[in-house]
Amino acid sequence: MFEGLSLDQAPPISIVMRFFMSVPIFGVFLSLLMIVSPTEILTPNHPLSLAAIHLLFLGIITMSMIGALFQMQSVLGGRPIPAPAGNAFIIHIFLNIGIFSLAGAFITQLSPLYVIAAVLLGSALVYTVFLIAPLLLKGGRHSTLRGMLVALVSLFIAALMGIDMADTYAQMSPSIFHSIIRETHYSFALIGWIGALIIAVAFQVVEMFYVTTAYSDWCKRNVFRILPAALVLKTFWLFFDLPYVWGFDVLMAGVLMGFLTTTVQRLRERKRRVSDVSIWFWGTGMGLLLIALISYTISLVSNTEQFIQIALIAYALFAVSIILGMIGKIVPFLVWFHLNSAGYMDAPIMSNIIPAKRSQSLFVLFALVSAISLASVLYPPLLILSGIVSFALFSLLGYNLIHALKLYRYTLDHGTRFEQV
Amino acid sequence: MILLDTRELDHPIPLEMAVDAFKNLRNSEVIHMIHRREPTPLFEIITKNGGTYLSYEDAEYIWHIYITRDGDLEGYRV
Repeated sequence: MFEGLSLDQAPPISIVMRFFMSVPIFGVFLSLLMIVSPTEILTPNHPLSLAAIHLLFLGIITMSMIGALFQMQSVLGGRPIPAPAGNAFIIHIFLNIGIFSLAGAFITQLSPLYVIAAVLLGSALVYTVFLIAPLLLKGGRHSTLRGMLVALVSLFIAALMGIDMADTYAQMSPSIFHSIIRETHYSFALIGWIGALIIAVAFQVVEMFYVTTAYSDWCKRNVFRILPAALVLKTFWLFFDLPYVWGFDVLMAGVLMGFLTTTVQRLRERKRRVSDVSIWFWGTGMGLLLIALISYTISLVSNTEQFIQIALIAYALFAVSIILGMIGKIVPFLVWFHLNSAGYMDAPIMSNIIPAKRSQSLFVLFALVSAISLASVLYPPLLILSGIVSFALFSLLGYNLIHALKLYRYTLDHGTRFEQV
Repeated sequence: MILLDTRELDHPIPLEMAVDAFKNLRNSEVIHMIHRREPTPLFEIITKNGGTYLSYEDAEYIWHIYITRDGDLEGYRV
């Protein structure tokens, strides 16, 4: 009795896990860069700063978000991604080589690395969009699916701008539009890709995981109209050099502030106050988003570089906070779900797959990284300490993921199935 | 009939409770789960392991899900 639901939608566990497994690797590389070159990383537009930014936004944030999209599209969209194993394999390989090439290009300034990054990273991102976006178009009018579509289109635009900039860097010949392309690139990446996807996920999971009231229909309906409209108009304003372009930033900051307040309100009023580390990550993420929005607003008025740096770091940490919280929920769920689907009677319960103590340790390390990284804007050598703690954070994340997979493998090899009882 | 009212429980407890109950289900016994949303992943676990289910939304955020191994669920259809 399937009542209109299509089953067998969930992709194999290896598809999502391969993306998640790359996150701690990029995290460790980023940490080492923070330890070795703290001052350069905190110098705007310094090549090492650009390397660190792309390791963070691509290697950690985008890598995990694409992995999560493979799962979300299949389950929420109701239309599974075709040939998920082969597509995930290719996208994952191209992403890894592309991100390392891009970071290597910034660090070494070798032109061929920019070309490799533009080709592999660009094609991985564009291919991901062309693979998933058409499925969302036919997937109904669910607000989360609309948000995923906005995010993917934004990723496509950000990737195109990124390819153009990598080409510019490779040829060492910046065009007259370079600064406009650069601003369009990061606006679509930060707000359209990362912001919209996190909001889309929140609409789905905050209510479901934490038994809160639903986000309002007005909010769900309009947020994915206002954000893309503001991004498109901002781009138009930039290219035609029109006045008051900052107005679109203020509008988008207002949308994010609205999201923040409604999310915090829902988390505070949730019916059951069960202690769950993922709630701490959501709460901390919202706090970091608040810091980012306030700092960015001040930077518009004061034009002080340090406030822009605080805004960027806090915004990245906001995304990482939500991602770490979600990985802590998704990975145990996937292990539990796939073992139970395969009929294993003794599949471990989710809370034993990543034990609470290790989840809490991960949160403490993340909170330390956040506090020290933000303070390092005022005193750059602190970034070394942040790098050391960040190294521990991503090592622990890697351990948690490997341990979960080992538990999965062990149950597959030694577990008892329904038909054996 | 085994009643599971999981409307007020945080994820993933409802899923784990339902799967646990399903694992211990005897022949034509039926689980009646009341939940705030349709637990799609649960359906995949049930059908892949020889069970059947019936689900319907009674009111906003009130879903009734009936699960059995060998029993007949037609009587629960609304």
